[in-house]
Amino acid sequence: MGSVSAAPTALRAATNAEMPLPMITEPAVSFVEIETLRAREFVPAAKEALGSMLSEQAQGKLIRPMFNWAGRNSLFPLHWGLACCAIEFAAAFGARWDAERFGVVPRSSPRQCDLLIVNGTVTWKVAHKLIALYEQMPEPKWVIAMGNCATGGGPFRTAYSVVPGVDKLVPVDVYIAGCPPRPEALLDGILRLEQLIKERKE
Amino acid sequence: MEAEEVGARLRERFPDVVVEPFPGTAGRIRFPAARLIELLTEVRDGLGFDHLGQVGAIDWVEERELFYTVWSDRAKQYLFLSTRIPAGEPHLESLTPVFPSANWHEREACELVGITFDHHPDLRPLLTPTGYQFHPLLRSFRLHEPEELEVKVRDV
Ligand code: SF4
Repeated sequence: MGSVSAAPTALRAATNAEMPLPMITEPAVSFVEIETLRAREFVPAAKEALGSMLSEQAQGKLIRPMFNWAGRNSLFPLHWGLACCAIEFAAAFGARWDAERFGVVPRSSPRQCDLLIVNGTVTWKVAHKLIALYEQMPEPKWVIAMGNCATGGGPFRTAYSVVPGVDKLVPVDVYIAGCPPRPEALLDGILRLEQLIKERKE
Repeated sequence: MEAEEVGARLRERFPDVVVEPFPGTAGRIRFPAARLIELLTEVRDGLGFDHLGQVGAIDWVEERELFYTVWSDRAKQYLFLSTRIPAGEPHLESLTPVFPSANWHEREACELVGITFDHHPDLRPLLTPTGYQFHPLLRSFRLHEPEELEVKVRDV
């Protein structure tokens, strides 16, 4: 997505040209640097650092399982509500279901997230924004398609503006059926994703 | 304000418009499309209907109907206006010089019912994606299989 990484610079330039505000300063880390940083996988970096201390076998037994353990216990979904399923998403984080006890804490910036829960109807108009958000999330990242709409278009499958399934846009790890799925179903989906992460190999 | 009063105040300058009573409002005006700007300017400045709430369009197969809803803050009343244009040549003057709030409503009518507004400042699609080739609220529009739609949108 070359156009996505180009967008903030273009936006900043346009704003500066029209009204030069004193508050707008250059960020300490440039956009390109962030893009390079986020692409770096943790596991190879750890292996590089610990390579001299641990045997090959110990590395295999320690680093990846530890990384998976940490990752699956602190899934940070993006706080992004799309349609009616977002209400159930919100309920799942409320007092009754309390998804935070699984370490799932919604964050407001895609750069702090590793889980994208697509909770609603995706239209073609919003499709490229969804891709942009997904691209901005650091690796490794996962996607849950919540509800029939995100899974396959749902009741709007033949409508003129709806994406028939979000897997046309981004790779999906877990599908949750229902219109809307109850918060229990969302929790079940998250636990299944945790299982997937637990089994994750190189 | 009643429909008779509206009719009386418009009769001299606009002999070609029809004012009918409409329950709960100041009336309903049918007017020829060519007099749009003139009439709406008069309605705003002369009659005091200072807020444009809605611009919509309907496809009646041979004709397309445009309707405007204006609100008077002083009289606390609505006034409905509507005009018809032939479906073969669906274009009309934009109302944005008179009511700037017509901008988005006209963009919506343009993409959904396929009406072109002349001299509109920015007639990009508002709701449908860029490059979308259909006018979904036309009666001739049929529901597409999703795969078909996807290809057409992506092709652009
Ligand atoms: S699946 Fe049902 S509840 Fe969920 S966004 Fe679609 S229509 Fe709404």
